[in-house]
Amino acid sequence: MATPGREIDWAGETGQVSRLRGVAFELACLAAVGVALVSVLVLLLYVATDALRPFSADPGWHLVFFLTLVVPTLGTAVYFYRLEEPAGEVAYATTGLPVVGILFAAALAVVLDIELVTALELFALLVATLVAAGIVVVHGRYRPGAALERLGVVVAAPVVTVFGVPPVEVIRALNGVLSLIGLPAVSGARLPSLRELILLSPVAPLEWILVIVSVTIPVAGALGLFVARRRENRRDGLAFVGGAVAATLLAPVAGPLLGIGSTGWVLAVTFCLLPPAVYVEGVVRRNEGVHGLAFPLVLVGGILLGAVLVRQFGFAPPDSWLDWQFLTSAHSRTPEDAGFYPPIVGSIMLLIVVAASAFPVGVGAAIYLEEYAPASGLSGKFVELVEINIGNLAGVPSVVYGLLGLALFIRAINMPSGAVIVGGLAVGLLILPIVIISAQEALRAVPDSHREAAYGMGATRWQVTRSVVLPQAIPGILTGTILAVGRAIGETAPLLMIGAAASVRLAPNSFSDQLPAMPRQIFAWSSNLEPEIRHGVLAAGVVTLLVVLLIMNGTAILIRNKYQREL
Amino acid sequence: MSTDTITSRPAGLAARERIYKYVLFACACASILVTLGIVGLLARDAITFFTAVNPIAFLTGTEFNLSRGEFGVLPLLTGTLLVTIISAAVALPIGVAAAVYLSEYASDRMRSVLKPALEILAGIPTVVYGIFALVYVTPFLRVFGLPLNTFNVLSASLMVGIMIIPMVSSLSEDAMSAVPDSLREAAYGVGATKYEVSTGVVIPAAVSGIFSSFILALSRAIGETMIVAVAMGSRSRLFDFSEPLANLWRGNQPMTAAMVQINGADSVSGVGFQSMFAIGLTLFVITFLMNLASNRIAARYREEYN
Repeated sequence: MATPGREIDWAGETGQVSRLRGVAFELACLAAVGVALVSVLVLLLYVATDALRPFSADPGWHLVFFLTLVVPTLGTAVYFYRLEEPAGEVAYATTGLPVVGILFAAALAVVLDIELVTALELFALLVATLVAAGIVVVHGRYRPGAALERLGVVVAAPVVTVFGVPPVEVIRALNGVLSLIGLPAVSGARLPSLRELILLSPVAPLEWILVIVSVTIPVAGALGLFVARRRENRRDGLAFVGGAVAATLLAPVAGPLLGIGSTGWVLAVTFCLLPPAVYVEGVVRRNEGVHGLAFPLVLVGGILLGAVLVRQFGFAPPDSWLDWQFLTSAHSRTPEDAGFYPPIVGSIMLLIVVAASAFPVGVGAAIYLEEYAPASGLSGKFVELVEINIGNLAGVPSVVYGLLGLALFIRAINMPSGAVIVGGLAVGLLILPIVIISAQEALRAVPDSHREAAYGMGATRWQVTRSVVLPQAIPGILTGTILAVGRAIGETAPLLMIGAAASVRLAPNSFSDQLPAMPRQIFAWSSNLEPEIRHGVLAAGVVTLLVVLLIMNGTAILIRNKYQREL
Repeated sequence: MSTDTITSRPAGLAARERIYKYVLFACACASILVTLGIVGLLARDAITFFTAVNPIAFLTGTEFNLSRGEFGVLPLLTGTLLVTIISAAVALPIGVAAAVYLSEYASDRMRSVLKPALEILAGIPTVVYGIFALVYVTPFLRVFGLPLNTFNVLSASLMVGIMIIPMVSSLSEDAMSAVPDSLREAAYGVGATKYEVSTGVVIPAAVSGIFSSFILALSRAIGETMIVAVAMGSRSRLFDFSEPLANLWRGNQPMTAAMVQINGADSVSGVGFQSMFAIGLTLFVITFLMNLASNRIAARYREEYN
């Protein structure tokens, strides 16, 4: 006030604060979020419209489904969101679990269908693994002190029961090396494994029975163990397994009736019915958000009611590009017959290779860096270098990994160009740093006090890692891995670099076959100028890929939410 | 016997521990091997390439044409630069503004919806973004009278920009959330408004984190392959200074798309095929250095507040 000529830059000076600038800024920031989200949302709507062609249906068809499906589900969803949040989460989980289950069941059905693995092979593998596990357990019971010896048993038992002595793979690799340096191949006598002996058996039970034994019983057993532990009652766990097996035994009746075959029924029950059953039991017992269970009923009821009404009134459904025919046939020159089946199978197989190669190495590296790595000295410097390197590798463009795959797997060690295994390994290298980083985060989230308690009781570092740290970190590690593998499915550039063919007519049934993959096929379609391809088949392919990704990411987010609450 | 197992560790345990440690160490070393593998294998073919083509001709040549044996990297570099600049112009302001909203203005509930939504955007495969650009964005922009070719720089670059928004926003938001609340409270205490706190305190305090997210996003744009391979065509063009805007309406070919084209071409001479590795190595070195710089800068802001 003493110097009236000078303005002091202080908001309180004028006695009034202008809100206009602040509000404008807030709105601008909100608009930025909106632009990012809405622009992509609009594009997604466009591509979905092209793929599904909802406007080709009768208006009556839309009206019926609007009344039976959209209004009730939207109503319940809004109710849960506003008034009963726990119920909303239950609704989300009980709707999502069966969907994920369907994806699993379908993937396994495809694997059995293309005979990548037959039911008998699954069965033989299971028996052989169980015997190997039994040997390890018995050894532990009788010689509890011999830790190094047990490590030997852990390695040797599966070799004897699963691989045989010496393993076929070792002979094959040896012969490969021998042929490279020009020596004759060896084919000495070998002791076949238990697994191979089972495969030699002249009689085998029906496929669906084998699937019950080798898929349903292990899954039901694991879930039953979980139930028994949670209810602190072994009888309940056994009852659960019994009920599960009884439900699958309906297969010869229910399967053909529903048109999915006996094996289809067994897989559907195992993956779509059992996990939700366990979840629902937990919800009912905790009595938390029970109302959410109504949501899937409303959803399914709405679909069924709508289907009945539509048929009654004779309303035509939309003539979508994305239909059953599209999902089950191969690419064709005529857009109406073009399909996506080989790429779907190829992507599943790619996923298997990627997960099998990146997961063990990635988690192993993360465990070393978080639990073992020295913090100081020369080796501490080395560890620091490794960490920086991993961070940088995560940012290397995917096309460079494709070049690495080309140079390493195809040109240096002569693997077949464009094969499933080459694509899987190249993409596996690409997601390795992402798996390591997310696994490290999960391991870091385990409180140190737990580790120290275990060390205080005399546990060794590995014992602490295996029995204390890993069990708590597994959900986080899984979340990160699913997200990384989701990224792997969509990767295209590495597949182009390793020479994946544009269109493959036959679904691959071994890992050295030509790789068709969903994004690769989409890229091939994108260069076609025909409107039926560009606004039809291409859009249907994109929507299929996005739905698979959405389900995978949704699962990861579901696991993460549950896990964050527990920690 | 029983007292033994309590007081002393079983025989062989130490050896087993050591074996596990070595196995896990080997896993950790795999990442180093990947880096060495990239550098070594790419360099091998790149060196063969540079014995056939003068490196100076490679770096200063103004034409890239496989069939005529012209291997000038400049048009590819300007193509990459063009995509990077346009996408940065889209993504950096929008990404930072979105980060400010998420970190300073959004309610918890809003944030719990918006953050996963942005995360899902980041999970859309880039080939899908490329198809968006080619099939939907280009016809949409033509409605406004822009003289766009079927394959053009503008819509592809816009899509690259939209693709990297989630990266900028989530990393910048991390940096803004790391700014201690005491700084905000001090500013409110002297009478600052929320706008003044956001622009005058939070953004300057988080500037190194924001900057590091910029570098990472640019490196992502430089390395982006599928969007440009789908929507930008396959003819490399040197930037035309006489008509700056016309560069946007036409197709172009950045480094990544050139690699895809060389690899997919039916008959490529040995030198042409090796040029792919030379370009790949150039790309790797650029992005690797940018990531390194970004990590350095990000480490600085973490030190400041932790």
